[in-house]
Amino acid sequence: MNQKIHFHLSHCARATVLAAALAFVPVVASAQETAPAPPAPSESPTGLSGYMDFHYNKPEFEDGRLDFHRFVLIVTHRFSDRLRFVSELELEHAFVEGLEEAGELELEQAYLDFLLTRGFNVRAGMLLMPVGIVNERHEPPVFYGVERPFVDTVIIPTTWFEVGAGVHGEIGRGWRYRLYVTSPLDAARFSAEEGLRDGRQKGSETNIGRAAATGRVEYVGLRGLTAGASFWTGSSGFEFRPRFDVPVRLFEADVRYSRDRLELRGQLADVGISNAGDLNDAVARATGVSPNIARTMRGSYVEAGYRIVSGRSYGDIGAFVRYENFDTQFRMPDGFVPLEEFDREAWVLGATYWPEPDVAIKVDYVIQRNRSAVVDAPNSFNAGLGWWF
Amino acid sequence: MVVLMRAFTLVCLTAVVVAGVSAGGRFRAQSAARETTVIDVVAERFSFTPSEIRTTVGTTLEIRLESDDTAHGFHIVGTDVNVELPKRSRGTVTVTFTPEEAGRYTFECSKMCGAGHSFMRGVIVVDEPPVEGR
Repeated sequence: MNQKIHFHLSHCARATVLAAALAFVPVVASAQETAPAPPAPSESPTGLSGYMDFHYNKPEFEDGRLDFHRFVLIVTHRFSDRLRFVSELELEHAFVEGLEEAGELELEQAYLDFLLTRGFNVRAGMLLMPVGIVNERHEPPVFYGVERPFVDTVIIPTTWFEVGAGVHGEIGRGWRYRLYVTSPLDAARFSAEEGLRDGRQKGSETNIGRAAATGRVEYVGLRGLTAGASFWTGSSGFEFRPRFDVPVRLFEADVRYSRDRLELRGQLADVGISNAGDLNDAVARATGVSPNIARTMRGSYVEAGYRIVSGRSYGDIGAFVRYENFDTQFRMPDGFVPLEEFDREAWVLGATYWPEPDVAIKVDYVIQRNRSAVVDAPNSFNAGLGWWF
Repeated sequence: MVVLMRAFTLVCLTAVVVAGVSAGGRFRAQSAARETTVIDVVAERFSFTPSEIRTTVGTTLEIRLESDDTAHGFHIVGTDVNVELPKRSRGTVTVTFTPEEAGRYTFECSKMCGAGHSFMRGVIVVDEPPVEGR
């Protein structure tokens, strides 16, 4: 490849300027007016980075809790320009003991990327499901609020990762896609309160009898704008004998706009579970308790954030408000009555102080309501410290 | 001492000659180019905007890079263009790139920036310049 590449000050010119400076010729003046070459990232093929999340949570009528929620190390390796390895190892809640009673050690990502062309690349290993705003973009400084949105917890079960393989790429000016085949969810572990969340197999000796498929299309062609739509579909009833299908499908759409001081977000997610009645009956036969799984779960939120202070030497300060509506009992199968405490909404108000762009100090207050006349949804105060390195 | 002075003079003369050749080389490269195109590229987790840049052979691209969040890298694969972008509100870096062959030049983030780092890629599409007189 015959080409010429110049920084403000090329290597050749720098050598020349150095020599000329020794020779006390007028070239020195022009060299001083020229900006130095910008720094280059590390040339090492192996990299280490990560992020941390340290929280204080104080629900109404309960004692406060301090929790080192996430300690994440990311190890990467570049075999070549076309072959990369990325891994993300997460320790949740600081401590792990038997049966995950205190915390979890999770391998959230560990994949090889075969970078073939801009429009078509192949990825295999432990993958993040390409669903929603937060699942693939969850570093603490990049989102408002101490905890992730409720919709990204009980409707989209972030952090959602499974083993599998697929393709991804970008076409034209900012049209991206991802399409993966992965292990499915385990319907036997779904719950009325947290929806699909406990059904994640997490890549641990997963059942792959019937693979799931997931994908996303998004547009990132305008500065600050990301608009996307995702799906996940799979048959999740593999644990039951006699065997029967529990097809699950999830559709999601989201938009995020960030420009200067303003950031806006919106997301809608809808989960459909076929044969939810048979699922409830089968779990009830096995455990004695019906999980009361809905045939439809739905959640959405809108959020507005604004940096009141921006670009100052001491950092940025932003405030935000988010409204969420999330219902894991949205539509029930015939013969089942919804548990109204799980038809919920929340207002989250708070602020973030970034002393520097990779460190976020957060506070928020969550006002939560549900439809139940019996079970209260407690409000909560939260504070957090998160950082990326 | 005389030998030292002669050596020093020789170094000075060599420096002047090298400076002249280098400056001349750069001048030729710039004068041979049809034009310089300035492109503003913004990086944020996990995209470059724009992610597709079109130019023609011999045109010098002056790419001004800015981050909206953390530090990113900008590497044009197969070249020695590899710079680190300062974090949000900490300024820009500029690289110039003069392709002399038509083709597609992939650029990517070369500094780990988060879970979706691998998606931060783009392309410089270099076409042959239009034939003059048509």
